[in-house]
Amino acid sequence: MPDGFDKDVYPVPPRRTPAVEKQTGLPNPAEILIKLFQYTVDVPVTTFRDWVERQHERNRFFYYQQKFRRVPDLTECKLGDHLCNYEAEMQWRRDHKVDQEIVKVIKERLGACQQREGNSYLQNCDKEMNQFRQVSKAYQSRYGDLGAYGSAQKCLMKQKHRMIAERKEATAAED
Amino acid sequence: MVGMSVLRAGAGFAARLNPLKHGFSNGRLLTRTVPKTESAAVRYGSHGKQMFVFKPSDYYDRRFLHLLRYYILLTGIPVAAIITYINVFIGEAELAEIPENYVPEHWEYYKHPITRWIARNLYDPPEKNYEKMMALIEIESEKAEMRRTQMDVRKLMREKGDGPWYHYETMDKSLIDYSPKSTPDN
Repeated sequence: MPDGFDKDVYPVPPRRTPAVEKQTGLPNPAEILIKLFQYTVDVPVTTFRDWVERQHERNRFFYYQQKFRRVPDLTECKLGDHLCNYEAEMQWRRDHKVDQEIVKVIKERLGACQQREGNSYLQNCDKEMNQFRQVSKAYQSRYGDLGAYGSAQKCLMKQKHRMIAERKEATAAED
Repeated sequence: MVGMSVLRAGAGFAARLNPLKHGFSNGRLLTRTVPKTESAAVRYGSHGKQMFVFKPSDYYDRRFLHLLRYYILLTGIPVAAIITYINVFIGEAELAEIPENYVPEHWEYYKHPITRWIARNLYDPPEKNYEKMMALIEIESEKAEMRRTQMDVRKLMREKGDGPWYHYETMDKSLIDYSPKSTPDN
């Protein structure tokens, strides 16, 4: 990963380079190969990249994250108000996209943890695993089986059925 | 007949083995040639390697590949050059927070300079699409509203008869001829 990543979320593992105790007078071929690679590949590529970055520095321009205003939900729209419906639908679609990206980020964190820990990932990645389980369960319960033509209305109906089922369970548990 | 060919083969063989019989000079061993008595002498200028190779025509294949490369590279090379130039000298945008009291233009939400250019010059802003859709929805909902009220009004006026609609012109009553029904015996 390039430089700008969060060190708390993706912790860098401690270095484990051993202290070298040379017992021969012969040169280390690994060092020779490393130096060879450095001078033939690394240095030219880095200088080229730095030159390209200098060209970019000369005219910088920026891009921003678009912030959308919150509009009334589907639950707050009156029955025949099609404009309110449309705005609520668009907001629901934006939120759906955001939730998909959230799930992707959590999945990537889990993958990074597994890569970092190597063979002991099953016991060391508990936090990320639980987070991923929670997030994917929540996503499934909210957006789960809506299908390709899912809309805000279908999602609302799904929530309604879920709440009815929960209420039925609660009353059944009381009895 | 067969014996003749065997004899001829034997004579040729003997002639090949014994050069003295054909009057060859013994000194120039390397330069003498020994002709076979049955077949004509074949002397390859290429020392046996096949120089005039017989193979099917590859003219059409090579022409096709040449034209393919030509037409692909005709626009491929300028496009690649332009994109390389843009990526090296103009570069991508950097992510930044929106400054205070500043509303970014709709193309300033994209990273790559070519995407920004397309969004700025070729595409409509997404707000315009949104508003167009909302306008269409508004028009359609008003139409639906109008049609629904007209339907209700029609039903009620026809039913109750006290509205301005459904007035049918009737004939003048003085024109009616009651004579067929005026007496019970008609």
